[in-house]
Amino acid sequence: MASTQHVLLSPAELAYLHASLSLTPPIRPDGRTPTQFRPLVAETGILPGTNGSARICFADGTEAIVGVKAEVERTKLSRVGPADELEGTRLVGDVVEGLAGAGGTENITEKEEIATNGADWVELSVEIPGYRDDDAGTAFLSAMLAEALLADGEFARKLYINRRFHWKLYLDILLISPPLSYPLPLLSLTTHLALLSTRLPRLKSEGDEDPFFDDDWAAAPYLYPRRKGDSGKATSKPPVSLLVMAVGNSIIFDPSKEELAVADVALAVSIGEALSSSSTSLGKKATTEDAMNLDDGEGRSLRLLSVRTIDPPSRLTPPGVPNATNSAYGAATATQKQPEARTAELEAVEGVWKAPRGGAKPLVMAALVQKVLEKGGVADEVLDALDAVDLV
Amino acid sequence: MASLKRSLDSDPFAANISSKVYVRSTKSGKVQKIVREVYLRQDIPCSSKLCRGCLKTAPKDAAGRTLPFVLSDKPAGTKQFPQGHYLVPDTNAFLNAMDLFEQSSAFYDVVVLQVVLEELRNRSLPLYNRLIALTKSEDKRCYVFFNEFRLETHVARDEGETVNDRNDRAVRKAAKWYGEHLAHASGAKKAAVPAVVMLSNDRDNLRKARQEGIPACSLSEYVKTLKDGERLLDMIPETQDQDITASKDSRRSGGENLYPEFFTMSKMMTGVKGGLLHQGIFNVSPYNYLEGSIRVPAFPKALLILGRENINRAVDGDLVVVQVLPKDQWKEPSTQVIEEEAITKNENPDAEGEDFVSEKERKALQEEVKRTQSKTTEGHAQPTARVVGVVKRNWRQYVGHIDQSSVSKSGSQGRKQDSVFVIPMDKKIPKIRLRTRQVTELIGKRILVTIDAWDRASRHPTGHFVRSLGELETKAAETEALLLEYDVQYRPFPKTVLDCLPKEGHDWKVPASTDDPGWRDREDLRGLLICSIDPIGCQDIDDALHSRPLPNGNTEVGVHIADVSHFVKPNNAMDTEASIRGTTVYLVDKRIDMLPMLLGTDLCSLKPYVERYAFSVLWELSPDADIVNVRFTKSVIKSREAFSYEQAQLRVDDASQQDDLTKSIRTLLALSRKLKQKRLDAGALSLSSPEVKVQMESETSDPIDVKTKELLDTMSLVEEFMLLANTSVAAKIYEAFPQTAILRRHAAPPKTNFDELSNQLRVKKGRELSVESSRALADSLDACVDPNNPFFNTLIRIMATRCMMSAEYFCSGTQAYPEFRHYGLASEIYTHFTSPIRRYADLVAHRQLAAAIEYEAVDPSVRSRGRLEAVCKSINVRHRNAQLAGRASIAYYVGQALRGKATEEDGFVMKIFSNGFVVLVPRFGIESLIRLRDLADPEPQATFDAETYTLTTTGSREVTVELFQKVRVKVTDQKDETTGKRGIKMELIKAI
Repeated sequence: MASTQHVLLSPAELAYLHASLSLTPPIRPDGRTPTQFRPLVAETGILPGTNGSARICFADGTEAIVGVKAEVERTKLSRVGPADELEGTRLVGDVVEGLAGAGGTENITEKEEIATNGADWVELSVEIPGYRDDDAGTAFLSAMLAEALLADGEFARKLYINRRFHWKLYLDILLISPPLSYPLPLLSLTTHLALLSTRLPRLKSEGDEDPFFDDDWAAAPYLYPRRKGDSGKATSKPPVSLLVMAVGNSIIFDPSKEELAVADVALAVSIGEALSSSSTSLGKKATTEDAMNLDDGEGRSLRLLSVRTIDPPSRLTPPGVPNATNSAYGAATATQKQPEARTAELEAVEGVWKAPRGGAKPLVMAALVQKVLEKGGVADEVLDALDAVDLV
Repeated sequence: MASLKRSLDSDPFAANISSKVYVRSTKSGKVQKIVREVYLRQDIPCSSKLCRGCLKTAPKDAAGRTLPFVLSDKPAGTKQFPQGHYLVPDTNAFLNAMDLFEQSSAFYDVVVLQVVLEELRNRSLPLYNRLIALTKSEDKRCYVFFNEFRLETHVARDEGETVNDRNDRAVRKAAKWYGEHLAHASGAKKAAVPAVVMLSNDRDNLRKARQEGIPACSLSEYVKTLKDGERLLDMIPETQDQDITASKDSRRSGGENLYPEFFTMSKMMTGVKGGLLHQGIFNVSPYNYLEGSIRVPAFPKALLILGRENINRAVDGDLVVVQVLPKDQWKEPSTQVIEEEAITKNENPDAEGEDFVSEKERKALQEEVKRTQSKTTEGHAQPTARVVGVVKRNWRQYVGHIDQSSVSKSGSQGRKQDSVFVIPMDKKIPKIRLRTRQVTELIGKRILVTIDAWDRASRHPTGHFVRSLGELETKAAETEALLLEYDVQYRPFPKTVLDCLPKEGHDWKVPASTDDPGWRDREDLRGLLICSIDPIGCQDIDDALHSRPLPNGNTEVGVHIADVSHFVKPNNAMDTEASIRGTTVYLVDKRIDMLPMLLGTDLCSLKPYVERYAFSVLWELSPDADIVNVRFTKSVIKSREAFSYEQAQLRVDDASQQDDLTKSIRTLLALSRKLKQKRLDAGALSLSSPEVKVQMESETSDPIDVKTKELLDTMSLVEEFMLLANTSVAAKIYEAFPQTAILRRHAAPPKTNFDELSNQLRVKKGRELSVESSRALADSLDACVDPNNPFFNTLIRIMATRCMMSAEYFCSGTQAYPEFRHYGLASEIYTHFTSPIRRYADLVAHRQLAAAIEYEAVDPSVRSRGRLEAVCKSINVRHRNAQLAGRASIAYYVGQALRGKATEEDGFVMKIFSNGFVVLVPRFGIESLIRLRDLADPEPQATFDAETYTLTTTGSREVTVELFQKVRVKVTDQKDETTGKRGIKMELIKAI
């Protein structure tokens, strides 16, 4: 879909674009620096009926809305068959006898539970105008976003209520303008903001009882807990997926449609904040993390969650024809008969467009990822900028 | 990357729009965030007659009228507010002291805030309904102010603020606004502007109000400044006093708790869903106040709940959650009579909880244990359970009287509060501890009290005084007590209901011209020889009959029922009132109508010699009384005569009477016998309950004699045709509305219900009771005859009747067809159609039948299953209460008729305990307990053989009493000196 959009550029234009982007420093058509994002407008809390929502609008007019709805769902026990029911009764028995919360019983541990079920606890739906929802591109986008979200296993943990219940999150990701450029960064950033603003009703019941919640919405805690005191920023962050591309030796962030059309390699890099090692135990997580993060106000440690290569539209562009082989310039007509076969064999000619071939080179990939994760680099900058959005 | 923020304040309407956000948890376990937008306005009037400004802006209806303003321009003043005042109560004030607001001596000009009204509805629906009724009454001058929608008084919840705090703040803000608004808008001098006084019992709220400069009072402070403050002060519940003086009591609440703590709601619900806890309605045994039972869906038989600790503060009727106890704690149901009055007679209401289980209670328990242990048969033990939580209290107002022995002698002079016990009329309700300043006035009176709370540290529930009904044993007080106790609506019909009556009043007539719309689709049956047969003095004549021979040898029989649905249209005020009342209640000296007199006794009543609208069922019956065909029609009839049963009987028996009317009654009589025989062949039960009639002196209506009811053939004549009509109509409306027909069913009783009776019969009389079907039961009941004791058969029937389920109305969609069966009548399908003047169900059936024969369009109210189910549920309760009230009324008058007399009568032993037995005296239809200690003084020793139901006494008096035995008893009335209660007392003269 979006990545393979038809590009209405002539080979000559492509060649020119490619050349200017390959310069050091590269010259981008819209005058941005290689690491600069397009300006955007962001707000949260735009859908009052949801648990969390956000809207981001790029200057080029592309706009996305994300709404997050949460529902309580009964956790499927890992065992199947008759033991299932037995287990349920035993758990209820524990509740009635007041044993609940007395510590994990030998057969089911939280970890096991979350590991087996976590993937079902989030449901993502992506909607791009003009595309069917089972379109390969849409499905790929939604898979990428979900993958990033679930990659660290921490996310599902936030949805855990007790051994019998968990929250199920429904993320509705809507692009509301026609996709002018590959919408991944836009959707990812909007999702990030929506999740940051997501709140779940406060749990009042204890242990494995049927959950019972506070009716006061104002008391509902954020899915990503906030640091107390200063500015109320979240202590941990949902992941973001960034789109990075390489042209020649240049590494370019947030490529526009035209830039993507000449990319040698395009990568979707999902990053999250690295976890402090002590915060793995679930029960005390929120508090320890609070304590941990209070004093590391400076640098955040980023970590790579996933990398996906995107098939750039440049691969489908028609090649330019060098003067040497162009009949208009007096080349032999015989060669005209199999232009395809011939171009493949041709050596690259300076100033003549030729679609990139082959996969991404490991070195280039490494460089790209390196650039993303760089301290004080783009990812940091993006996260900081998103931080600046007021959460409603 | 640069981000821009859009400010929400840029919205120009932001000031008028607010939203309310909260989390809602549904029953199915869904948890939703709910956002409600609130549009704020400034034209909601303050409704004070002093205010000029609001009058101009108040919204107008389509006709350009504004609602009249409610609050007086010269409100009453008090010592504290001589310039006059309006009241703004908060929710607590209504929750705790609704009775105060219903007083006619004070509490006028009340501003009921929307926030308070809504909160009250969430907390207590009955109180909410009472408040609504109050705001509708014209003389109380209550005004509902929609503070949440008025811009100036809208309050948004602050972060971290509890709902309660927010609501309190809203109340304060509204009170403050009212004060400022009035001062500003009335333009009067400062001194003349009425004060706006916030009433609250919440200390925190009061404190904050005073800080903000809002006049505020606690209930008791306010009441003290009123004229009859002393009297009113008693209506403020005690818990509230404690609340205000909490510091003093803090020690006590920390003290020992007598009852186990309740589970949290979520814990209970988890358990109930998981099947480990059970939820049901708690019932107390009428013979033993320490024994209760609960029927839960999980088990076929009820679970026993024994002892104070296991009952754990549950009161009869509460919806509770129980936990089954381990098997070693299973017990047999008690064979002892334990009456609270007798055992806890000498308790002191002031000293609380020094000894949770009193000495006497312990003793009673020991004997229980002895008995259980002496038995080796473990199979008898029944599962027991304990109450772990109360889901919903079913507390209401209780009628009772003060236990004189609980009144301390010294305290009765001064004005200080005394604690006394109130013994409720309903034996299943525990004693209620009451604090009052007017003990001396209240002793010997019937009083109305409510339960406020029952905390863990208190052995008895605490309550407060509502009002006095009058001296014990005066007719007015006792009748009102009965009506209150059975929740019978006895207030006069409100004006809105009377407005629905035809304008012509008693002059209403069937239109002369048959072109009148009233005649549309009505058949003219004025030419038929129709007559009605009813009890003597019956004014609301529902039904009339006729018969005439047809040329083919068959007979046409018509049952004509008053066409009430013509006058009572669905969903108007009269219909709503009738659906609430559900049924007419017949007391010995009084009738509480379901419909206004004009309809019930005149316009609808099928009086003789005048034309009336009717709904007719017309059959063609073969000489064997088989139905050849049936049709239904609206009609106009003219009854030729209104007979009493006795008159009709005389006329039929008098061979010299050969007129057509008499002949037609004879035909009906002959047919009715055949119908009855058919019914009995199908297995209809002839059941029995002791019915008596109280004869009154016509002038003073004092009871003079008691008679058992006589059975006449003409009664059975009317009954048979009514049954036939009901069955035919039931089939018709079910055919037309398979999902929503209103029907009546009588479920087959579970076999276990008869276990006890059938065992008793086997042991005592060597007879088997077969209960496989109603037919088998009818046959075995017929066989239960004792040649020496003609009453024995009736006795068994009475006892069998008590084992049955009660019949109920239901909506056909809620049950499968086989469940429609009426067990007692052995009819596949049944409904009530024949008494629309006195039963609401019949009225609904009329509407459905009218729609089924396409006389009128189907009204949504008779088509909506949900509404019909609600109607059925409510009229089932009303019906039962009406029956109970009627019986209680008879029992009271029987007692009065016997007053000062002592008669010897035959009686029969119905139930036997290890320390007493219950005797039924058929002549008076009363049953009473004779305890061992009543037999002789000192109390004789007794051995009770539970296997053979025999009680043998030795020592001071030697008698052997067996079940079903005929005994001779002396019936007197007796006033119990300690309780001030008059009751029937029986003394055993001899066992026969």
